[in-house]
Amino acid sequence: MHQFGRLCGAALLAGALGFGAAPAEAQAPGVTKDEITIGALGALTGATSFMGGPGRDGLQLGIEQINAAGGINGRKIKLVYEHAFTPAESVAAAKKLVESDKVFALILSSGSTGAAAAANYVRETGVPTYNLFGATPIIRTPFAKNVFHGAMPDAPTSAQALVDRVYQAKPDAKKIGLLVGTYSFPQSNKAAILPILEARGVKPVIEEFDQDSRDFTSQLISMARQRVDAVIVLGSFSEAGFAYKQAPEKGLANAVWVLDGSAVNDAIVPIIGERDPKNVWGYSNMPAFPAQDHPEAVKFRQAWIAKYGTPPQGRPNSYDMVGYGGAFILAKAIEAAGENLTWDGLIGAWSTMKGAKPSDLGGADVIFPETFSETDHQGNRALGRATIKGGLWQTVGQ
Amino acid sequence: MAEFVMVILGGLKFGAVYALAAIGIVVIHKATRTVNFAHGGLVMLGAFATYVLVVDWKWPYWTAYLVVPLLIGALAAGLELSILRPLRRADLFTVVLGTIFLGTALSEAFRLAYNTELLAVPAAISGAPIFIDIGEDAAIVTLEQIWVTGGALAVGLAGLFLFRYSTLGRSMRAMASNIRGAQLCGYSVERVYATAWFTGGALAGLAGVFAAPSRGVSPELAVSIIASAFVAAVIGGFDSLAGALIGGLLLGVVETLSAAYVSSAAKSAISFVLLFLVLLWRPEGLFPEAKRRHV
Repeated sequence: MHQFGRLCGAALLAGALGFGAAPAEAQAPGVTKDEITIGALGALTGATSFMGGPGRDGLQLGIEQINAAGGINGRKIKLVYEHAFTPAESVAAAKKLVESDKVFALILSSGSTGAAAAANYVRETGVPTYNLFGATPIIRTPFAKNVFHGAMPDAPTSAQALVDRVYQAKPDAKKIGLLVGTYSFPQSNKAAILPILEARGVKPVIEEFDQDSRDFTSQLISMARQRVDAVIVLGSFSEAGFAYKQAPEKGLANAVWVLDGSAVNDAIVPIIGERDPKNVWGYSNMPAFPAQDHPEAVKFRQAWIAKYGTPPQGRPNSYDMVGYGGAFILAKAIEAAGENLTWDGLIGAWSTMKGAKPSDLGGADVIFPETFSETDHQGNRALGRATIKGGLWQTVGQ
Repeated sequence: MAEFVMVILGGLKFGAVYALAAIGIVVIHKATRTVNFAHGGLVMLGAFATYVLVVDWKWPYWTAYLVVPLLIGALAAGLELSILRPLRRADLFTVVLGTIFLGTALSEAFRLAYNTELLAVPAAISGAPIFIDIGEDAAIVTLEQIWVTGGALAVGLAGLFLFRYSTLGRSMRAMASNIRGAQLCGYSVERVYATAWFTGGALAGLAGVFAAPSRGVSPELAVSIIASAFVAAVIGGFDSLAGALIGGLLLGVVETLSAAYVSSAAKSAISFVLLFLVLLWRPEGLFPEAKRRHV
């Protein structure tokens, strides 16, 4: 009787191991016959919610359009979005999405802080990850075969664009000021800009500020004392806007202002109080801005308003667009991975995708086409030249 | 020299808004003995109402100066009626907690309604800056600086005169001095309390209108304003409206001077150092209303 019990136990254990493991290998987490669950994380409140909230809304809009068109290989996509602002929240959100919600792929729709925090975890788990907004090198280096980067370029590319914008606007600029946030994204861009300026023989005037600053007295006075010709702002639109606005009061009246990607947002216009500032430049990582009179931007904006209603000030913004476009790029990679979805299959298909764009799946082409290879996972490197005209950011060439 | 003048003028601009917010706190405290920690929330709502009127509804800017104080004043009077009045006989600790969480509720309600980093409000007045020659250099003064500093100070001074010379002010001062005596003289506690909250709320609303273009509208505005306004009020003497006005200006100038000549990180620290120095040297503030009795 005792031996019979042991035999039964062994048989049950073997059954559990043998029959239980077989379906798990065939079916990746988050994938059922009808549905693919995708996880995303980003800040919905706090200083970087201007990225996370729009990222979520753009992703959701894109996913709904994909599902309305029949989904991917007969499966609908479901988005699970987790709020994460601090580094600790970002790691916790990534773990929850991967381990509890069992998502098939993870989207980092946080800024650099969240992407840097989650970097080790996504590398260790091997979950296919799409980094939408993080410019930090921590998520990009060392190279991970499961991590892909979208419309936001890496720090060296955007740093070169910022320096180029200075000399396009003021070819004889001698003194350049760097107004830099103390948090992750501006710091990674600062590290990328310094060698470029050094190669040109320029020693910049560097002034730093805390996240969400509203008063730039000390920084602007220092730059005015040293009579800088141009100021490169590495920070958000509100920080850049208040710094620009306060500059004349602090004696910095005629400098060229070049703003980083996260400051290139129409919500800056009411802060600076000018609809056609002469000396404000930036770069765009999309073919057109959300409010620009461009057929793809108009198509996107109409869809956004149809879903979310009359937008508040500054929405939809660039992050809405990148989130929306990103949903299509990920869907395209999933489609290319075929019906029998596995993490390795998705990573393999994604790594060979060339010129993927939203219109491939019926969306509006609000991002530049993205191309990946097995050794290069930066989907986009194109950057437009941008300035404010008529109260809106406009792409005016490259 | 030009730089120093610009720093002082910049400090006065911040200080004038602090002063206006501080006067609102003092008016409510003076008449009702309630320390209103929800005042920052009222300032933030004033800034938000400005955004709605000027940006969303595209009304002319001047309407914000008329409508917002009335709106925020009515809201403050409503809060007194619905929340603070039932707490009137409660101990001080309960009332303080009540106003702290009322302020938090106002900020969080805004955060829920407007999930955005910042709502930007354009300047009330714009145009080419004025250049004032000082020696070999020129100090630059913007029209917005003049408007915010002058406007906020004018409103603050008007509040001061209203409190000192009007019947309304007299009733509030009587209530603050001796509640039983004031009642015997025919003043209604309910009416005076409601009026004090309305006046304090209206001043908070106006502080919000003046602060909105230079600070933007976000829940964090409530916290940053309340901290500075309290420091200004304590420096001034807490029960002195003139003290709150001067305390606000002093705080703005000291903060800006420290940002310009020490570091931006030292700015907040220096304002609290100033507060501690004043409390150590003159615990009753720089301009106390009640005289200290030496016995």
